[in-house]
Amino acid sequence: MSAAMRNPAAKPEAAQGPVVAVRDLRAWYRLRLFGVDREVKAVDGITFEVRKDEIYGLAGESSSGKSTLVKTIAGAMRPPLEIVGGEIQFSFMDGTMGLNRAPADLVERVRWRHLSYVMQGSMSVLNPVRRIGTSFFDFAFRHMGLDNAGFEAAVVAHLARVNLPASVLKAYPHELSGGMRQRVTIALATICRPQFIIADEPTTALDVVVQKDVLAMFRSIQREMASSVLFVTHDMGVHAHLTDRLGIMYAGRLVEEARTPDVFARPRHPYTRHLIHSLPRIGDDRPRIGLEGTPPSLANPPSGCRFHPRCVFATERCRVEVPPMEQVAPDHRVACFEKDRVEATP
Amino acid sequence: MRAYARYAFGRFLQFLLVVFIGINIAYIITHATPIDPVEHTVSVATAFGHTAPEAIESMRQSLRELYGLTGSPIEQYLNFWRRVLVADFGPSLSAFPSPVSTLIGRAIPWTVGLLGVATILTWIIGNLLGGLAGYYRRSRILKGFGIVAMALHPMPYYIAAIILLIVFGYLWPILPISGGAQMNVARDWSFEYVMSVARHSILPMLSLLLVGLGGWFVGMRSLVSNVVTEDYVVYAELAGVSKRRILTAYVMRNAIAPQVTGLAISLGHIFSGALITERVFGYPGIGSLLVDGVHAGDYSLVLGLTTVSIVGVSLAVLVIDLIYPLIDPRVTVN
Amino acid sequence: MFVVLRDLLRYNSEFLAGILMTGVVVAMALLSFVSPYPPLDQFVAPMDVPPSAAHWFGTTSRGQDLFWLLTYSIRNTLAFGLLVAILSRILSLSIGLLAGYRGGWVDRVLMSINDTFIVIPLFPILVLFYFVMRDNMSWVMLAVLTALLGWSYDARLIRSVALSLRHREFTQTAVFSGMRTHEILSREHLPFVLPIVFSTSLNNMNWSIGLEVTLAVLGFTDINRPSVGGMIYWANQHSAVVAGVWWWIAFPVGLVVMLFIGLYLLAISMNEYIDPRSRLERGGGRKE
Ligand SMILES: Nc1ncnc2c1ncn2[C@@H]1O[C@H](COP(=O)(O)OP(=O)(O)OP(=O)(O)O)[C@@H](O)[C@H]1O
Ligand code: SF4
Ligand SMILES: [Mg+2]
Repeated sequence: MSAAMRNPAAKPEAAQGPVVAVRDLRAWYRLRLFGVDREVKAVDGITFEVRKDEIYGLAGESSSGKSTLVKTIAGAMRPPLEIVGGEIQFSFMDGTMGLNRAPADLVERVRWRHLSYVMQGSMSVLNPVRRIGTSFFDFAFRHMGLDNAGFEAAVVAHLARVNLPASVLKAYPHELSGGMRQRVTIALATICRPQFIIADEPTTALDVVVQKDVLAMFRSIQREMASSVLFVTHDMGVHAHLTDRLGIMYAGRLVEEARTPDVFARPRHPYTRHLIHSLPRIGDDRPRIGLEGTPPSLANPPSGCRFHPRCVFATERCRVEVPPMEQVAPDHRVACFEKDRVEATP
Repeated sequence: MRAYARYAFGRFLQFLLVVFIGINIAYIITHATPIDPVEHTVSVATAFGHTAPEAIESMRQSLRELYGLTGSPIEQYLNFWRRVLVADFGPSLSAFPSPVSTLIGRAIPWTVGLLGVATILTWIIGNLLGGLAGYYRRSRILKGFGIVAMALHPMPYYIAAIILLIVFGYLWPILPISGGAQMNVARDWSFEYVMSVARHSILPMLSLLLVGLGGWFVGMRSLVSNVVTEDYVVYAELAGVSKRRILTAYVMRNAIAPQVTGLAISLGHIFSGALITERVFGYPGIGSLLVDGVHAGDYSLVLGLTTVSIVGVSLAVLVIDLIYPLIDPRVTVN
Repeated sequence: MFVVLRDLLRYNSEFLAGILMTGVVVAMALLSFVSPYPPLDQFVAPMDVPPSAAHWFGTTSRGQDLFWLLTYSIRNTLAFGLLVAILSRILSLSIGLLAGYRGGWVDRVLMSINDTFIVIPLFPILVLFYFVMRDNMSWVMLAVLTALLGWSYDARLIRSVALSLRHREFTQTAVFSGMRTHEILSREHLPFVLPIVFSTSLNNMNWSIGLEVTLAVLGFTDINRPSVGGMIYWANQHSAVVAGVWWWIAFPVGLVVMLFIGLYLLAISMNEYIDPRSRLERGGGRKE
């Protein structure tokens, strides 16, 4: 299968099938402090899929659970984070339910070869006491099937794509700037050309010019391999440029999902509308309307629609019932009782 | 490389500072004495019937300089330092007229051999087991070991030594409980002699291990359980880097750094340890020498041992400091 | 404060055990005030009597009642530990706070001196001190010297906390409102480092008491003042173990071991309370 994936000309038949399908996923932080239990429901009932050959974006305000969601998909849970319910199904791991339930040797084979992950805050993912070159060796050598010289040449060539000189291989992490470290991490995650790349805020520490290059690299690697990328950022501008489809998260739930242009052109959820209207636009001098109220507590979330305390469209029903995620157009789902009224409002 | 040179230079200055302050403390303390050590010592020496006049004179001279009784205050201070720097503490009183430096030179290999080896061995075993216990949290054996180590840890060393002594000296006498080697074996590098030294070192070594292991074990275990949640470890696990490589190159390598600093400090305690261990087990190192010196009222010997300990400990710390960048390359930056 | 104490007692068994053990030792020390025997008197009881109803812990070969002698000894030993802890706290607090707050060259100079004191071998220096002072040495002098030599380890810890406080907002506010350095340190920073001061003092007491016991066992302190180490010293002088007077060694050793373990348990449970990382670990519990 991997041989087929390497050849960009031979697109697999099921090109539009999902690379990962997530169903009703719930992942909570369960804390117990001196006998008092506390549950932070950071991912609470999310269903979506990432298709082959696409870049899927995830947006939402800080602490809406984006990182928790991708952490769970990448199998990077650590206590106190636990999967409480739901399923994660990968195309390259038939019949197993996610990384945390698959046999260890399978997981080991899949990681980096088929699935790689750029953690948020990638400043600290490099071993501080080893040179960068050894990290590349540890992570990628056994997947590449090359001899030492060939491997090094491949690494150097790949580093060049993120504008890094070969000399960083000899450096220790603390000798690099934050932006350089972030690019090293991206290079580390993409060098094996996996089918599925999860990237959590990979460009936040980069200046605009480098950010453009890195985004272009993501796009070109994805095209070249017909692979899939799950890309998290709260920067709606980045989503507009990069992603094919976009999911919007609010307080641990997915509230809207559509093709990226549709999200920007026809947002149906009040929260999505707020996100888009708060984007700065050239030549637009209307004051930005801020969101009323405070972000919800995930330990004790609001009843019904979690957005209702801050929503201008909210009705009595929103306070009690949880709005289901519903298809409103091809590839467009929304979780809002008042979606038609929202669309009708200019 | 330039960063390393700057770092090494800084550490060297620190070494000089330690020696300087340490020896000054010794100088101040020796000057706090309300009795005149020189005439006291000389009178003791003559009372024992030592009458070699030039040796007595040499002792009086060195004591006068060490205790800073000749010349102006500045001259006194400088003379003291001159003596210390060339390690010339004059003849000793308790083994008159052997020079103090000879006595110390004879005792040092015993102490460094026993305490140095025990300290390093304890460090290695404690960290290894503690690291494994932090990584393999569920292992029953390691958990059990942790409980034993925790219980032994706060026990005062002296008590542990006494218990071993009672067990192996009276209840089940299979090991020599006193001395550095058998008396009737020739002191050369023969097999018999080396074996005798090894056998005599077992009990003191064991006592040091028993009490010392716990601290390293507990420290390393908690360091490791913090390191395993660090992003770089989580990330390497996610990347499918092999378990063994993660344990060694990622977890242990990072957790060990503070423990190396700890080793430097505990090398500093070698001389404190020597005092009790050697006392309890009648071991012929500098600890026993010091206790004997105190009881015999041998000023030159006590002062000599104090300064030698200060310099020896600082040297050991300097060596560890100099190799430390190999373990954590970040230290050379600031 | 009260809530913290209650939580600790309820959910932290180490803390409870620590409190109980230290409590027994302190109670022992307090009993000395109602002792029927003056502490220095010898041959007021029959010699070498094993533990019995009349003499709970037996008597020594010097005709002392072991129980009542032990109450004096543990009181003196505790007093020594407390005095060292208090004196060295003054040093480590002022040096640690100052270094952490001022930073720059002040920090560098103070920390160099600090590191010097960390590595200097204490024991030979204390022995040298005893050696030159001999009979003129009192336990207060020994405590002062121990404190002078034993502040450095904790000063470094306190400095690292102070370092992190330096950049906090309230420090900047205090600076702009014209407070002087010592005012900022004592009013703004002290409350934050107090918990760590508390747990390090427990460790410091353990350390200094261990030191005193050891010196006394070797006979390098004022051996006529009752202390736990001094009792062991006299027991050794009379070859108590060989002569079968085991209680003379066993009770002092047992009591001081209890004190060590008690203080140690208190210190680690306090640390756990202070350091949220280990707290999380305890709370999260279910590690894979
Ligand atoms: N280790 C943890 N223990 C307890 N709660 C946590 C932990 N990590 C995250 N949380 C909580 O989970 C919620 C979701 O956090 P998450 O990191 O997923 O947000 P995010 O959407 O990625 O935010 P950001 O945009 O700031 O990265 C937050 O309320 C956070 O406080
Ligand atoms: S369901 Fe109700 S509260 Fe929620 S977003 Fe829609 S209108 Fe607002
Ligand atoms: Mg995040």
